[in-house]
Amino acid sequence: MEEPPHRADQAGRAESGERIAAAALELRDVTFTYRDAERPALRGVSLIVPPEQSLIIMGAGGAGKSTLCRLANGLIPHFQKGQLKGEVRVFGRDSRAHPVHELARQVGLVFQDFESQLFSTSVELEAAFGPENLGRPRAEIGERIAEALELTGLTGMERRAPATLSGGEKQRVAIASVLACRPRLLVLDEPTTDLDPEGKRQVLGIARRLREQAPGAAPTVMMVEHETEEAIQFARAMVMREGEVAYDGPTRELLAQPRFMEEHGIRPQPAAALFAKLGEEARPIEDTEALSQLAALGYRLDARRWEELAANDARRARYGDVTIEVRSLSHDYDGLPALEGVDLAIREGEFVAILGQNGSGKTTLVKHFNGLMLPRRGEVRVGGAETRRQTAVELSREVGYVFQNPDHQIFAETVRDEVGFGPRNFGLPTDEIERRVTDSLAAVGLEGYEEGDPFSLTKGERQRVAVASALATRPRALILDEPTTGLDYRQNRGMMELLRRLNEGGHTIIIVTHAMWVAAEYAHRAVVLSRGRVLLDGPMREAMGRLDLLAQAHLAPPQAVRLGAALGGVTLSVEELARRLVKQGHT
Amino acid sequence: MQASVYLDRGTFFHRLDPRAKLAGLVAFFVIALAFNHPGYAAGAWAAVLVAGAASRSLINLWRMRGLLGLLFVFAAVLWPFFAKGPTPLLHLGPISASRESLLYGLAVGLRLSAMVAAGMVFMSTTMVEEFAHGLRRLGLPYAVSFALAAAVRLVPTFLGSSAAVVEAQKSRGLDLESGHLFARLRKHIPVLVPVLVTAIRSTDLTAMALESKGFGAHHQRSYYLELRMRIADWVWVALALGGAGAAVYARLHGWGEVLPRL
Repeated sequence: MEEPPHRADQAGRAESGERIAAAALELRDVTFTYRDAERPALRGVSLIVPPEQSLIIMGAGGAGKSTLCRLANGLIPHFQKGQLKGEVRVFGRDSRAHPVHELARQVGLVFQDFESQLFSTSVELEAAFGPENLGRPRAEIGERIAEALELTGLTGMERRAPATLSGGEKQRVAIASVLACRPRLLVLDEPTTDLDPEGKRQVLGIARRLREQAPGAAPTVMMVEHETEEAIQFARAMVMREGEVAYDGPTRELLAQPRFMEEHGIRPQPAAALFAKLGEEARPIEDTEALSQLAALGYRLDARRWEELAANDARRARYGDVTIEVRSLSHDYDGLPALEGVDLAIREGEFVAILGQNGSGKTTLVKHFNGLMLPRRGEVRVGGAETRRQTAVELSREVGYVFQNPDHQIFAETVRDEVGFGPRNFGLPTDEIERRVTDSLAAVGLEGYEEGDPFSLTKGERQRVAVASALATRPRALILDEPTTGLDYRQNRGMMELLRRLNEGGHTIIIVTHAMWVAAEYAHRAVVLSRGRVLLDGPMREAMGRLDLLAQAHLAPPQAVRLGAALGGVTLSVEELARRLVKQGHT
Repeated sequence: MQASVYLDRGTFFHRLDPRAKLAGLVAFFVIALAFNHPGYAAGAWAAVLVAGAASRSLINLWRMRGLLGLLFVFAAVLWPFFAKGPTPLLHLGPISASRESLLYGLAVGLRLSAMVAAGMVFMSTTMVEEFAHGLRRLGLPYAVSFALAAAVRLVPTFLGSSAAVVEAQKSRGLDLESGHLFARLRKHIPVLVPVLVTAIRSTDLTAMALESKGFGAHHQRSYYLELRMRIADWVWVALALGGAGAAVYARLHGWGEVLPRL
């Protein structure tokens, strides 16, 4: 039985026994309702963030995390209008009484969408922008730029154009431009959500570096973050739910409550979840603790249960004929090789995960499956016919492609028109189109949404509409590029369960993903790309067992896999690991 | 994807103050327009090529050869039939072309494309922020010059999202190639709408990001980029004014003329 969630009163007090310095951020019974909204985004929230603390804020989408961030620098209520009750103080000053540009001297805010935050043509000028607005003298601006670029690891890239940088680098430039203002409070609203693992590492590294600065120099850091496995580096954690604070206290204690986290739409820490499933009291967080606890309690992997898992694997591996075939595929961009001699065959009914870091060629590969790209050398066959001999339009009937950002395709006035777009393009009769729309919406769990406005749906719903649109073309295979990026844990699970259901119903599913735990738990087969070549291609269990090759491809296996590997077996999820562990002396 | 036009090459042209370069560009336009003899227009092109080579920006001119070629061909083919000259050569029904108007057409094609190419050399050697700063020092309000610079910065982002939208819709069977003109235009709606919506959404975010970095503070703003007119810049401006003046003078005295018109 888990402990009920608790609020830590002590979390707000400064550690020294001296006079308490003005809190970096203080909210007193704050309720905020956006203009034109039915429900308040924040409800009676009170909190105190002392200077130099670092705090992680977690919670499902729509919980009020972004609202909280925007209260911190005055964007609410000055820029985003609404009804604000209660008091918000930033280093002692009432945010209502000070315009945003004044609060900007003390508070920096970094947003999730890095593209929209950058508007200069060089990294240097981007970093100069903030101090320029603050009227700092030229020489000082130069110093601030150098300092900010050093903190974000961008020294030497002053003259680079942000448009030529990777997502992670762009976000770092955005952070640098905020750090150049020397804020005493740095607020980051989901800075890593749209980034690949490398980008996430870089940004979280910045947070670490900031904390390591001398006392007095380190800013207070508040970060909204979904990556549970990174939470431990923050001393204090807050969980929000439907506008209220559901938890506020030490991070370790939160991570020790996997069920609580799951109920609040956050991915539980795998090690803690494992111990909960085993029925043990302990709640280790990191690999080393978990392994030593398992050893101390006498757990080992049971060989017999391994046979059960193997049988399961075999049962689900009943696939049909080859539906997509790739032979010696090579592709390049203006002479820069993207794919080299790739061979691949995907059968009907498979669930394949294409893995690899940014630049490995994953997206280039799958764009060959629906004719968006044609091979420079080698061939790609869909349903036996070469893609070279067909147009992308023709291939769209065979292979459906769901892009990472559903907002890049939603355009219609009703969900019906949106989902029916594909069939309409094929010139199908109206009643057939209607039937497909209904079926596709049912398949994604959006029955009855036909008349709705696609633009007003939540991100998760829009993603499902995008999947439904692809399903309506009744393709033989469905490709999804990063189906879970930008979704919170709950939406993530929802999407993956949907894909599992579709696959069990006979659809061939191909996902390109960075989320290793998602791939491990759901996909049957892994194709790992590195620098344009296939490094590994086989059943997921085999692939996750090759830690050496995964490391070569710069991929980090999820914790459940790492723990299993340390114990001598390949386990693809916390469930599996829990099922395979037995205590010494038991059978 | 080509992200920006600016090429960071550090040549003499790059080091010139943007205001001086602007004066030079305007003067070049005046000189090009002053004459309508193809030989003179070819001379203008030669000057552009030299500038392009000296500023190491010929690659950008090569990249826009399609546009430049199109400009030239359109002008050279159409103008002969619209300009009237004394020595008739061709007749196509009611319209006719003369020897002079053929030469005129060539000249217009050359000088138009040379002007566009000169503009490209300017953009290849001038950072957008420098250009915006130059305009500001010449009197343009900061907000306007900032908007200009931000717009140019956003072009690659906009193009990138347009490309992504086109791919997404193609994957759903949108055929942008077939059909007559109006049908094809209508088919672009599924591309236009997501692009515009995405642009509007990101405008909102950009405004918030701007505010969050202190944009709009009432007191004096400082500037990191420093613009100073040096001797070289003044010399350049003098040459520009001199050149423009000389060209106008020459034309008024009958030089470089094939037809008595602009």
